[in-house]
Amino acid sequence: MIGFETARGRSILITACTLIISVAFCGLAYASGGGEGGHGGSVTDLLYRILNFVLMIIILVVVIRKTTIKEFFSNRKEEIRKKLEDLKRDKEIAESRCNELEKKFKEFELQEKEIIEQFKADGALEKKKIIAEARERATQILAQADLTIEREIQAARNSLRQDVVEMAATRAEEIIAGQIQDSDQDHLVNEFIESVEKLH
Amino acid sequence: MTGSRISKRYAKALLSLGQEDGNYAEYGENLKDFAGLCADNPEFSKVIANPVFSVDDRKKVLDAVLEKSPFADLVKNLLRLLLDKNRIGGIEDVSAYYTRLTDEILNIIRADIITARPLKDEAMDKLDVVLAKITSKTVKIKVEEDESLIGGLVVKIGDLVLDGSVRAQIEGLKESLKRGEYN
Repeated sequence: MIGFETARGRSILITACTLIISVAFCGLAYASGGGEGGHGGSVTDLLYRILNFVLMIIILVVVIRKTTIKEFFSNRKEEIRKKLEDLKRDKEIAESRCNELEKKFKEFELQEKEIIEQFKADGALEKKKIIAEARERATQILAQADLTIEREIQAARNSLRQDVVEMAATRAEEIIAGQIQDSDQDHLVNEFIESVEKLH
Repeated sequence: MTGSRISKRYAKALLSLGQEDGNYAEYGENLKDFAGLCADNPEFSKVIANPVFSVDDRKKVLDAVLEKSPFADLVKNLLRLLLDKNRIGGIEDVSAYYTRLTDEILNIIRADIITARPLKDEAMDKLDVVLAKITSKTVKIKVEEDESLIGGLVVKIGDLVLDGSVRAQIEGLKESLKRGEYN
């Protein structure tokens, strides 16, 4: 007996046998109906047809019993069941993965908000710091400017004083030189002698 | 002369000899006169001090002058020696240091008085007395006039300067005003 191990082999064998038997019986039925022309021929034709059909069923049952078609369908069912289980497991994994991703997405959204909040807080702090530094710098610049102004005023005042004193001294020298008399010279000499005497 | 140390050495040597014979004052005067002659006649000074000319030629020129001078022989010999040694150009230094040495021996100090106007005799006498008092030495005064002092006088004795001029008083006042002492 021919053994078919695989499901594909078995299905090919079943199909081939069915085709051969059907062709054989159809030929037989056609041949038997070709010489008849009366009413009694129709009943006989019907009986032949029924016989054909019954034989075909018997042959089919025998063939099916002889072959492993039942096993084939059983295996097929088991395969489909396994496949369904695999698919179910894959679906569960996918759902689990999906849930995980959704969870991560939610966490990310939450984290995103936290990061944005943190950045906003840092930005506000930095802004505050920059403003404080700018104010401090502005205060320093103003103080420096005040100091510079004060110095410039003092320098200008000193310069003016020097100029005035120089001019006054020059003018005083001119006036004294123009008005000094011999008596003044004598007086100055006597004063000088007295002051030198005091040194002794 | 190349250095005051050499001038001092010649001056000290002459003074030593002058002290021995008692004529150091005269020698000092001779040196001073010759230094004055050189200062008044720069061409003569240049000729006798210039090594381009031979020593003999220069000595002839010097001798021609010295023969007509009333200088003591010792001084004449010193001048010839200075010429031989090419030190005659430093005669002013020698004379100045000799004067300083004789002043020390005679307890004399020299004072330069710069005055804006001529000083009266009475003032000169007073100054002589008062300067002698503060220095405890005989003071020899040299007076110069300088109108830029405006009034008063300045006395210089060595490193000591006593300024009683109007110009100095105005300068002092000016500096005080500049420092803002009268604000």
